[in-house]
This record gives sequence, C-alpha cells and structure tokens, in this order.
Amino acid sequence: MKVQKKMKLFFLFTIIATLLLSACSSSSDTNGEKAEDGKVKLRFATWDVGDDVDLQQKLIDQFNAENSDIEVVLEAYGGDYDTKITAGIGAKDAPDIMYMWNYPQYKDALEPLDSYIEDKGEEYKGNFYEALWNYNAVDGDVYGLPVGYTTHVVYYNKDLFDEKGIEYPKAGWTWKDLQETAKKLTDKDKKITGFAFPGKPDPYDFEMYLWGNGASYVDSKGNLDGNINSKKAIETFTMFQNMLKDEIAITTEGWGDTEFKTNRVGMFINGAWYLEAFKEAGINYGVVEIPSFGDKPSASIVSSSGIAMSKDSKHKEAAFKFMEFWTGEQANKERLSFELPVLKSVVESEKLQEDPIKSVFYSMLEQSEGYNPTSFVTDDWSKLSDDLSLVFEEIFNPSTRVDPKEALNSVIK
Amino acid sequence: MFTKKNKQKKFTLVRKRVPFLFILPWIIGFIVFTLGPLVFSLIMSLFDWPIAGEAKFIGFDNFSTMFTADPQFYDSLWITLKFALIFVPLNLLVALVLALLITQPIKGIKVFRTIFYLPAVVSGVAVSIIWGWMFNSEYGVLNYILSLLGIEGPNWLIDPKWAIVTIVIASAWGVGSMMLIFYTDIKGIPHEMYEAASIDGAGPIRQFISITIPTITPTILFNVITSVIAALQQLTLVLLLTGGGPLKSTYFYGLFVYNNAFKHHELGYASANAWFMFIIILLLTMLIFKSSSAWVFYEAEVKKEKKGGKGK
Amino acid sequence: MKLTRKYKFIMYSILVLFSLYFLFPFIWALITALKTEGEVFSFPPKFIPDVPLFSNFMDAWNSQPFGIYFKNSMIVTVLTTIGQLISCSLVAYGFARYDFKYKNFLFILLLSTMMIPWDVTMIPLYMEFNLFGWINTLKPLIIPAFFGSAYNIFLLRQFLMNIPKDLENAARIDGANEFQIFYKIFLPIMKAPLTLIAVLNIILVWNDYLGPLIYLNDQSKYTMALGLASFQGVHELQIIPIMAMTLVMIIPPVIVFAFAQKYIVEGISGSIK
Repeated sequence: MKVQKKMKLFFLFTIIATLLLSACSSSSDTNGEKAEDGKVKLRFATWDVGDDVDLQQKLIDQFNAENSDIEVVLEAYGGDYDTKITAGIGAKDAPDIMYMWNYPQYKDALEPLDSYIEDKGEEYKGNFYEALWNYNAVDGDVYGLPVGYTTHVVYYNKDLFDEKGIEYPKAGWTWKDLQETAKKLTDKDKKITGFAFPGKPDPYDFEMYLWGNGASYVDSKGNLDGNINSKKAIETFTMFQNMLKDEIAITTEGWGDTEFKTNRVGMFINGAWYLEAFKEAGINYGVVEIPSFGDKPSASIVSSSGIAMSKDSKHKEAAFKFMEFWTGEQANKERLSFELPVLKSVVESEKLQEDPIKSVFYSMLEQSEGYNPTSFVTDDWSKLSDDLSLVFEEIFNPSTRVDPKEALNSVIK
Repeated sequence: MFTKKNKQKKFTLVRKRVPFLFILPWIIGFIVFTLGPLVFSLIMSLFDWPIAGEAKFIGFDNFSTMFTADPQFYDSLWITLKFALIFVPLNLLVALVLALLITQPIKGIKVFRTIFYLPAVVSGVAVSIIWGWMFNSEYGVLNYILSLLGIEGPNWLIDPKWAIVTIVIASAWGVGSMMLIFYTDIKGIPHEMYEAASIDGAGPIRQFISITIPTITPTILFNVITSVIAALQQLTLVLLLTGGGPLKSTYFYGLFVYNNAFKHHELGYASANAWFMFIIILLLTMLIFKSSSAWVFYEAEVKKEKKGGKGK
Repeated sequence: MKLTRKYKFIMYSILVLFSLYFLFPFIWALITALKTEGEVFSFPPKFIPDVPLFSNFMDAWNSQPFGIYFKNSMIVTVLTTIGQLISCSLVAYGFARYDFKYKNFLFILLLSTMMIPWDVTMIPLYMEFNLFGWINTLKPLIIPAFFGSAYNIFLLRQFLMNIPKDLENAARIDGANEFQIFYKIFLPIMKAPLTLIAVLNIILVWNDYLGPLIYLNDQSKYTMALGLASFQGVHELQIIPIMAMTLVMIIPPVIVFAFAQKYIVEGISGSIK
C-alpha cells in the first residue's frame, strides 16, 4: 500500500519534471538581440494566414540562406494582428518589421523611411506605382514600402448572367447600367438578387463611391460639414438605399463574398482577396471596373499593404535590407498567387496588363490616383469611422432605413 | 520536536500562522502577477496614452470625459446590464434544471450528461463562428429549417431586436460548466437525507425545496457571482459574432473597453472605463456576498451560527 | 424509486429537446466539415454531402504544424492543471477551514481578481513577462497557475465550507498536525470537487486564445487554439478547416470528461465515511 503510493508519487513527480523541463527548454532566445551564432535576429510580423504563410516562410528561408549574418523569424498573427501588434508596441516589444496598412494610427511607433529610400535613388522609388506611396505615408513622410495592394472591382457571376441571357458588363459602364442589369438578374422565385453590398460598410471603403460622384467625407482641412452632407454625397447614399427599396439589391452581414459563393447574388464589389477562394469554390466569375456616375471615371479606394520598421528596432540597417528584399522583383513574383505586384517592371514582365482579371485592378489603380482617403486627412479616423459606420448602418438596415439626408446631417453634430 | 512546556504556546502561534501558510501561494501570486499590472492600469487611467506615442498626464480628464461627454459609455453600460438581467437568471435556472435532469436514474442518462456538457468544451472563438454560420439570415441553416416548417425566420444578426436574443442563445449553449458544478454538489448530498424525508412523506418537489436547494446554496452563491462577472465582462461573442451591431445593439461594455484600447488606441481612457466597471462589479459582488449570510448555509458554520439546521 | 411511464415519457422528451439544442450545432459543424467547398455554399443547404470528405480533417491538420501545437497545448494544459490543483486546494482550505485576521478582506481581494478586465492589465503584464524574459515561451501561460486562480479557489472553498467542522476537530484531538489534517483527511474527501476543477481548468486552458496570442510569437510555440484561429484571416473565413479542427479540438477534453465523470458522480459525501 505504502509502496504503491510512493510509486505513484514518484511517477507523478517524474511526469511533472519532464514536462517542466520540456516547457523550459522550448523557451528560446528570440528576445535576445543576437543569437548565439552571432547572427542579427529580426522579428517579422505578418497578418497572412494559411498557405500564404508557408509561401512567405519559404521566401524568408531563401533570404536567410543568402544572408549569413541575418536571421529573420516569421511571426504570423492572423486575424487578430492588430491586437497583437498593439500589445507589442504598448509594451515596447514590437517586431522589427511588420506588415502595416493603418499608418496614421501607428506612425509614432514607426521609423520614417525617406532617407533609406533616397539612398536607393529615384529609379528605385519610381518602379513602384505612384498611387501607392501615398498610402504608405503620413503627412508626406514615408513609413512603409509597398508590398501589395488591391483596388475594388465588381465581381459578377457569369452563370447567372448566362442563365438570363444578359451581356457581361464592360469597362466604362454606369451605375444606371448596373441597376438595370441587377433588375434583370433578380429572380424572386429562385431567391436570386442582382447586386449585394455590406449592410455595415467599412467607411474607409465606402468613400470611393463618393469620389466617383465628385464628393468625399471631408475637405482637405478635415471639415465634415458641406462635404459628407453635400448634395452629391446624399445622392450617392440615396442611390444605394433605393436599390434596396427596389429590391434589386440586398445587404450582406459580412463583405458579401459568402453570399456570392452561394450563387444567389449576381454582382458585388470588393478587393482581390477572393480571387483564389472563388476559384476553389468553383464559381464562374468575371470582374469589371466599378461603374461611373456618368461624367467622370469611377474611382476605387486602395487597400494597400506595406511593411514598416519599428522605430525601436536595434538593427535598422539589416531590417531595411530585408525590407528591400521583401519588396524586390523576385519577391513580388513569388507572391503572384495571392498578392498583386506593386512594381511596374514586374507587371510588365508578367504581362499582367493582358490578364483579363488582374488588369482590371491595375486600371482601377490608375484611375484612382490623386484621391486621398479621409483616414489620412483627419486626426481621429478610428472614432470618426465608428460614427460613420453607425450612420451608414442606419441608412441601410431594414429596421431603420433612415433618410440619407437626415442621417448624414446627424454626423456633423 | 519541542518540549511539552512550550508546546501549548508554540501551538497557538503555529495556529495563527498556519492559515497564512495555506493561502501563501495565492498571496505571492497576487503580489507578483496581479498587483503591479493593476496599479499600473490605475495610474494609466490618469494619462492620455495613444499606445504608439508618448503618454501624457491629464489628471481625471478620462473620467470626466467618460461621465459627461461620451454617450456610448451610458449606452454600453445599459445594454450590458440589460443582458446581465436576462442572462444571469436564465443561465442559473437552465443550469439547475439540467443538473437535476442528469441526476435522474433513468437509462442512457450518461449519454445525455455528456451531450449537455459537450458545448462547454468548445472555445469561445469556435462558438461564435459556428453560431454565426448557422444564424446568417441569407444562407444560415436555422432559417432554412424554419422555412421548411413554414416559419419565416427573423434576421437574427441584422435586426437589433433579435441580436441580443441571438447572443443569449449562443452564450447559454455553454451552460454545461455551471450545470456540472451544480451536479457535483447535488451528487454530494447523502442519500439518507432523501430517504429520511421520503419516510416523512415528503414528495420530490418538497424534497427539492427543503433538502437540495438549502444544501447547494454555497454553489448557488458561487454561480451567481461568477455569472454576474461573466455577463458584465462578456466580450468574445459580441466581438466575433455581432461586432457590437446591428446598430450598436450589442455594443457591450466589454467591447466598448476593448475597442477603446485596441481599435482607438486610447489605453488611458480604456483603463478609466475598465476601472469603473471593476468597481461596479466589486460593489455588486460585495452586496451579493453580504446578502449571502441570509440565504447561504454552510455546514461548517451550522453549529456556530445556529442557522439552517437541516438534515443532520 | 418507481418510475411511471408517463414520467419517463416526459423526462425523455425534455432530455431530447435539450439535446437537440446542444447537439445540433455539432452535427451541422460535422456536416460542414465533410463537404466540398462547392457544397458548403450550395443553397438550399445540403444535409448530406454527396461524398463525405474525411480527408478534410487530414488536410486541416496538415495545413499547419498542428503536431507541434498539440504538444504545446498538452504541456500547458497538464502543467497548469497540476499547478491549479496544488495551489487551489491549499488556498481554498486556508480560507474555508480557518478563521484569521483580515480573512474577509483577503477573500474579497481574491474575488476581486476575477473582475479585473484583462484589456488594460495585459500590457503591463506583458512588460513584466518581458522583463522576466518569458515572452515567446510557454512560461507566462503556465507559471501563474501555480499560484492559484480566484475562480477555482472560490469554487473549492464553497465545497469545503459545506463539510462539518467536527472532522478536523476529531483529528486534532488525535494529535494530527495541521498539514496532516489537510493532506490525509481533506484531500481524499475533495476528490469530486478537485476533479471538477481539473476538468474546468483543462477546458479553459485548452481553449485559451488571448493569452497565447499575446505572449507567444512564432509558430513553434503556438497552441491549438491559436492554430484554429489562424484559419480566420482579416478578409476571409476558411469555414471547412475551422469546423474540422473545432471538432478535433474537442476530443481531448471530452475524453477527460468521460473519465472524470466517475469521480464526480461519487460526490463529496461518498468519501466522507
């Protein structure tokens, strides 16, 4: 009896000890700035998930092999990237290099890159699409190197078009055309609707529709009044609301990709994120430019992704070396499967301008040059964005459907 | 070890120290892992700290902003209280009913016990994803099943009236843990007590009221307090399932604090928010605790306090 | 007890009704996990996939180093559970069976730690762990468990308070010292509630998402919950692998529960005599 108990205790003790040991041994030294082998260690944070991470790891392995004095460690934070980055920055333990899009909010923790870029010369900078530098800069200071981008386009379901014998939309079409097409596509018996857009649109994205109609949320000084409630702006919202009232469009709970995948929505607007997913789901789709309001070409918001350097990084030279690699021609080509290249030379060599799908994103990019999203103009975009989001929801939610004029005027207060 | 003479003296001294020895692990843990961060966050509430930038001392501005200039603060507080008022009693009741059900001596009860407990094993993240997948008004399976029954399902996540119901349904799904706690306690009640009562002619309901309930009052207290805390701090579900919407109808206080900290990067303000809630919950807990002397009966105290003498 | 047929019928209907609510989401998750990408989004929803794709489970498992995640999760779960059992039984015993100075104050203080919102203490805690050199190790997830958690201590205390006082008085008269009383008399009695705590802790830690997210950096340290969450990107939700891994992830805790049931059923009183 006694012996048994002792044996039991002994076993328990051994198990605990082994586990403790393995727990401690698995603790590594990524916090230490230099690894034992004298290499400079760089932490690199990405928000990508799944296969994309594997691809990135392969690229990094290649970089590590080519640079014997540097070791880059990939940290994939996934969907809660912002929470993780915020915690790291707040605790002064940010990764050396990190993916970034929301520069205005993080800029105080980032290293300005202008001097690094200048050293590389005009030609280096000129190879990136000009429109993208604006999205990687705040108040004229560049904080990130462009890695990828997407503009928004109209995705349309070819099968649904064929079923009704409707011609596919073409570049240069108007919102009126879209509405007519949506009307033809809508089939109540089959529960098919012509067009879909988010019931709680991201205000950052939605501004592109105002741009297309010659309006915006704020003027260059950040004033809302007279801009978000201008005649043109109200007109834009009214148009969207009317599509719901006419039942040729529905609002979606998410971004609309799932509804599109169910083959019950003819058209929806979003970025390049879904190209692969739609292919995998076997959807027969096409893409086309966002329709215009008639008098001038449509515009798209640019969702850009860049990489930035922490201002607390201890190895800035090495970090920039890696950033250069990460934004270079080869890396751009390697990422073709999930990221649109940002270098003109790559777009040319890969003949992307001739690709029936990808070329649309580039023409939207060229068309959208010169527009400045409100998030880069106003001081407190995250709060304003919250307020706008609520107002947009009030306009589109079936249980409220507030008159756009009234709703937009309420933002001013 | 020591002589008989000072044994008595040592004994009382030891008796005085012994309880502290037992609770020592927690005291150390509290000082090392809790106290520092807690004080830090209290100090932070007096600062304007945009996380990425420098912190600036602003006195009680965060608190005055919260009470006078931020309507969302009151809205979120109200919604959260409303949720707690629905959720806490409902959850307790369901947990208790389920715990009683799974003590029934009928065939296959083990299977039901496992089924009822199963959802409690699923992580909050997965719970939100699964329910979000089923609740969708366009392609969700729930409304499809309802439509087969000839019922037009509500827009669960779009209609503000239904959104809070959705949250209640999804959160009550994980009631298993609480059920298990009740169950463990009910199982601990000696059979003799029921037998004796049954001989006295007490029916099942009478037995439940005079034996089961009084004996499990300590765990009822535990479940009340922990579910009040859980309800007032609910975050995962509203963050992932509804995002606070539709129309901010589920913008709970937990989400309000989280967004202020991680979306708006106002860590000082978020600390002020958090501390306010901390104090509310603390007061509420103390209130419940104070009241407990009137309705919670501990066997260990039975003799001392001459209360609730039953069964023995 | 004699059970009438009517009573049985009512009982079973209630049980089945509840089971439907608790089980259906799992069934739907399983159906979804076995579908092809096209079937998942077909409308009306399909209740039976044409060919159930069990390979979806393998694909999901292989898409990330889940073997490593599993190991990490196991280490954290087992060690925290041991830590919680040791520390919480001691602390709860101290609070439940003794009277001492500042007891009520300390107990309220203990309870109050349950109410601390993590949003705002997380960053200072991060700094502290960073100072210890614990970031990107499993230590921040494990070591605090050896100092108890308010939830478990409170729960255990409630059970301990419900044991008559005569028990330790008798032992004291027999000359047992305080620790012996705890170890030899109370620990065996507490089998049921200790099992309960172990089960609750295993589930909590196994599914913990925010802790690992904040304190771990690279994939070699990730836990299962983090792996599950990485199927959810900013723009897209990979529903099939999420459903598959959710189902895989519940297996270990369910096994634990199956074994634990036995001890919980015994209850606390069974062992007093």
